[in-house]
Parts: sequence; structure tokens; C-alpha cells
Amino acid sequence: MSRGGDGEGGENGKRGEGRENRRDGEAGIGDAGRLRSAVASPRGSAPGNGFLGDVWTNFKRWNLKAVRNPFVLVVSLLNPVIFLVLFTEVFGQVATGAIGGGGVDYVSFLMPAIVIQVALVAAATSGIGLVQDIEDGMFEKVLVSPMSRVGVFAGKTLSEVLRISVQATLILGLGTLLGARIATGLPGAIAIVGIAIVFSVWFTAFSNVVAIKTRNSEATIIAANVLQLPLLFVSSAFLPVEILPGWIRAISGVNPITYGVDAARALVLDGWAWETILPSLAVLLALDLAFASIAVYYLDRASSATVD
Amino acid sequence: MNAIDATGLELTYADGTEAVRGVDLTVPEGAFFGFLGPNGAGKTTTIKALATLLRPTGGRVAVNGFDAVANPRAVRRSIGYMAQETSVDPELTARENVKFACEAYGVPRAERRSRIDDLLDLVDLADAGGKPAKAFSGGMKKRLDVATALVHRPPIVFLDEPTTGLDPKARNRLWEYFREINARGTTVFLTTQYLAEADALCSEISVILNGEIVASGSPEELKRRVGGDVLEIELDPAASADADRAAEIARRSGLFDGNAAVVATESGLSVTSAEAKRFGTDLLVALRDAGVVVTGFNVRSPTLDDVFLAVTGEAEPETAEPEAEGDSRGRGR
Repeated sequence: MSRGGDGEGGENGKRGEGRENRRDGEAGIGDAGRLRSAVASPRGSAPGNGFLGDVWTNFKRWNLKAVRNPFVLVVSLLNPVIFLVLFTEVFGQVATGAIGGGGVDYVSFLMPAIVIQVALVAAATSGIGLVQDIEDGMFEKVLVSPMSRVGVFAGKTLSEVLRISVQATLILGLGTLLGARIATGLPGAIAIVGIAIVFSVWFTAFSNVVAIKTRNSEATIIAANVLQLPLLFVSSAFLPVEILPGWIRAISGVNPITYGVDAARALVLDGWAWETILPSLAVLLALDLAFASIAVYYLDRASSATVD
Repeated sequence: MNAIDATGLELTYADGTEAVRGVDLTVPEGAFFGFLGPNGAGKTTTIKALATLLRPTGGRVAVNGFDAVANPRAVRRSIGYMAQETSVDPELTARENVKFACEAYGVPRAERRSRIDDLLDLVDLADAGGKPAKAFSGGMKKRLDVATALVHRPPIVFLDEPTTGLDPKARNRLWEYFREINARGTTVFLTTQYLAEADALCSEISVILNGEIVASGSPEELKRRVGGDVLEIELDPAASADADRAAEIARRSGLFDGNAAVVATESGLSVTSAEAKRFGTDLLVALRDAGVVVTGFNVRSPTLDDVFLAVTGEAEPETAEPEAEGDSRGRGR
């Protein structure tokens, strides 16, 4: 479609001259000396980091982002804290009877559920972070860099694990202040944080799948929030399933919250009750594996340059 | 070795859209390459395929000698890429953004501090280094984005419409920087909506239309292919029928050879011909004799706008923007 191929070439000298003139005409806008020092000659290939370096780089960025947004950190703790304080104060007297008395106070009963709630809220924000990264262009910026994809997501996930650990610890501290006692002591408290982390994986994966499929922060926030309260209430979180209506009892049996709460609660109320803890962990791990596989599939598609 | 060697590059989306249809591109090392085309022509799709962000559905792409499909990580290590949408982390400070990029590309720890200082200084953000990027204006974010794309001193840098939406001052500053890195040996692959920008910066240009390359060459070669100078004649807007009559007169005058392009324009008439300068006056006289009222005229060298019009049939990739510096049209004279 280009017309007239004749007359090409042969005038390279003249062309070069024209470019030089142009350059002269526009020089002097900035400080050439300063430019020269900053713009060193190209160097070939960037050295890149090892896998752990990539994980560390991304872990640091997501931690920094979290710290820069203390508001989000506080607000995401607000609901669980309100639940813990108000439920204990308002329903405490009634509920202690409902959970069967026996020296068990409601705050001890409720605290492990609130730890799971914290994990749920933190996991929900994982997808929101991903969507925002996509909207900020940072997702693409990371993909065009030589960093390992797995390292990138591992770094982000580790930063979320750190956040869940800190927030779960705060809840355990607050619960203790309100009078809760952990039957298994400090090792049990650490194990409860561990259960919260294991619990968070499936919901983290879920919220990332919503994020990558919708690429819309509102949709991701709504999907996470809409699910939270029903999931919590239709589980063993606030009252023992035995005293709940039949249909709720049925649903709570397939509700992952129930498994997280039961395992954590056993450590608070009963001690190292492996017969409760191990089956619950097994269910959660299976769930984690299933959801994580789906998430890895979609994240891989979104980041592997395949046209879709 | 060429910085870019693409042969038969094809990219068809899952919905069947053939965004890129058999593109051949050769960009020699050190070139300042301009990639032009109307919106939706396939510019960004091509640049993303070259930068390993999209996997081609056909053809071969080698960047810095590395195959983009077989060895994408080697390609990524050796390129800088600045996306069309400004890409900075709004929650990090300018400094932290550049630092993250340094870490992402493995810039040695010992070099990082001076590298960050130099780059921030260069894009005039040294004083704002500690401020979060979300507090920045569009131009500042763009400049920060440039800095992060160059931390590893890549031999080639892809700039996808880097100056879109910037004010002339900010644009000038980026031009200055792009010229400098190119002068230092970095190959630049630039897409732009502003033809004046391509004219001012690029040594080589390719024009893409509907996923295919329709013209390639230096700006001067492309302008020469337009076929001569451009005589623009303004006519009395009150006499709208005059434009067609004037065009008819120009065609029949015998002043210009058969290659001349005579086009009725909004304001009157344009004649593109090798003889535009020589016989322009004669045409004006002929028009006066025929009773056509000429309110203005101008003979100029062809610009990339004329090239663009000729090869794409569109006046400009996008609506006209205020020129970054003076009027590029004046420079050709």
C-alpha cells in the first residue's frame, strides 16, 4: 500500500544532518550534565534475583502497602472487635446458659470464632488488593519484570499471613482481657493462630478468583462481604450447633467456618482434643487444596500471556 | 543483531478478533523507532506481544536475540516497558516505587541508592521522593513510571504512548530524556498518537492499520512518498460550491502531473504535487480568472499528518492536540 518505492535511500547523509539540526534546536531545555550522569549506557540483561529474593521483594511491598493504610487495618478489625465485645456483654448472660454452662463462659466460647472471623476478613481483602494492583497497572508491571510468578504471589500471600497472625493475636489478647481462658495456654494460642492461617487459604483463593474473573474492586468487595455474615451465622461460631434449628445445623455441617471454629474452640475449651482438631484440619486442608488449585489455574492464565 | 526481529507476527483474540495479522518488524539496535496507527489498529497488542505480555498466536518474535515465546524471562530481563496506562503503586512513595523496580530487576544492592537518586533527579522528582505517588499529578506519575522502567538500564525500552495526556512542558522534558537514552545507545520503541512527536523523535517509523504494516521508513522517506509539497488554498466559506469548482479547475489546469492529489478540504482545497511550489501561483491566477474567491493560501512541505492521511485515510490518530513545541510543520521548510 505504500506508494512510490523510488527515491528511497541514497540520502542518508542528508537525513542525518536534518536530525542533528533538530536536536540542536531543542537542546538546552534541561541540564545536560545532570542527564548524562543519570543515563548511563545500557547494560544488557538485568541480573534478576533468586526465587527467595522475588518472594522477599513482594512480601515487603505488600507489607508497606498495609502499613500505609492503617485505616484499613483498623477498620477490618473493627467488626470482629465489636462482635467480641458486644456479643459478650449483650448476650453473655443468656448465651452462657445456652452453651451448657459447665463453667464455660461465653467470651471463651466466642473468642476462637472471632479469630476465624478475622481470618475471613483478611482473606477477603486479598482479592481486593489484587484488583487494585490490576487497576494501578502494578500487576502488569510485575508480570513484565523477570520476577518468578510463583514468587510474586507467594510474597503477597505471606504478607497476608503475617497480617492474619498479628490480628488474630490481637483478638486473643483482647479476649483474654475480657476474661477468656485458653485451656492449652500459650502453645494453644499459637496453634489457634496456625488454624486461622490454614482456614484463611480457601477464602483467600476464592476472593482472588473473584478478583481475576471480575477485575472489578466493587464486585470483589461485595462478593466477600455478602458471604461473610451468613457464613458466620450459619455455623457453630456464635452458638453450639446442637441448639440451632435443624436447617442451620444441616448447612453448618458443610460450612468451612464450622471446621475452623471447632478446631480453634477445642483448644480454648477442651485442651489438645485431637479427635476434634485433626478431622477439622483435614477438611480445611482439602478445601484449601481445591480452592487454591482453582486460583492457581486462573492466576496462571491471567499471568501467562495467553490470549483469552 | 537487531533489537527486534518479528516475522509474521499474528495475534488473534479468543473472540476471533484478529488484532495483529502477519506483522514483520525489524528494529536495528540503537534506533528510535516509532510505531504509529489509528486507535484499534493493533499498536498496543503488538507492543505487548513484543514485551511477552501476550503470547502470539502465530509468527516469531525475537527481542535482543531472545525468542519471546521460548524464553520470555530472558526477554523480560533485557527490556524496559512503560504501559499506556500509568503504572505506579499509589501507596508507595516515589522513592519506594523506584526501589521496588530496582529489586524486581535485581539491580545490585550497592548500586541501588545512587541509581534511585539519579533517576529521581532526572525526572525532577528528587524533592518529592518521599511523597506517596497518589499525591502526584498525572504528569508526575508518568515521570515516575519512566524512572521505574529504566532502573536496569535495558538495551531496549518500549514506550506505549508515554506522553498522552501530558502538558507540553512535561512532554518536552520526557522527549529530552528519551533522546538522551537513545543517544546513549538504548533502542527506543515508541507508540504515539502525536505525529509531531514521532517526527521530532523517531529515526524509523512503521504505520500499522487493521493489524498490518502499511508503511515503513524514515520520516523523511515517508514524507517524500507523499509526492511533493502541499498547496493549501482557503476559499470564501460563503460560496461552498466553490471548492468543487476549484478542484475541477486545478485538475484541468494542466499545471500538475497525473500524480498530483487534488482534494477538497473543509476550508477549501489542497493540492499535493511535486510542482506545487512552481505552479501554485498559476493556479491562484486561474482561480481568480474563473471568479473563485481565494481568502488565503500556503505552500508547505509534507508532514507526517499527510503521510498518515495517505496511508490510513484518517486525518490523525486522535483528535488534534496542542503541539508540544512550536509547530512541527514549520521545521521542514
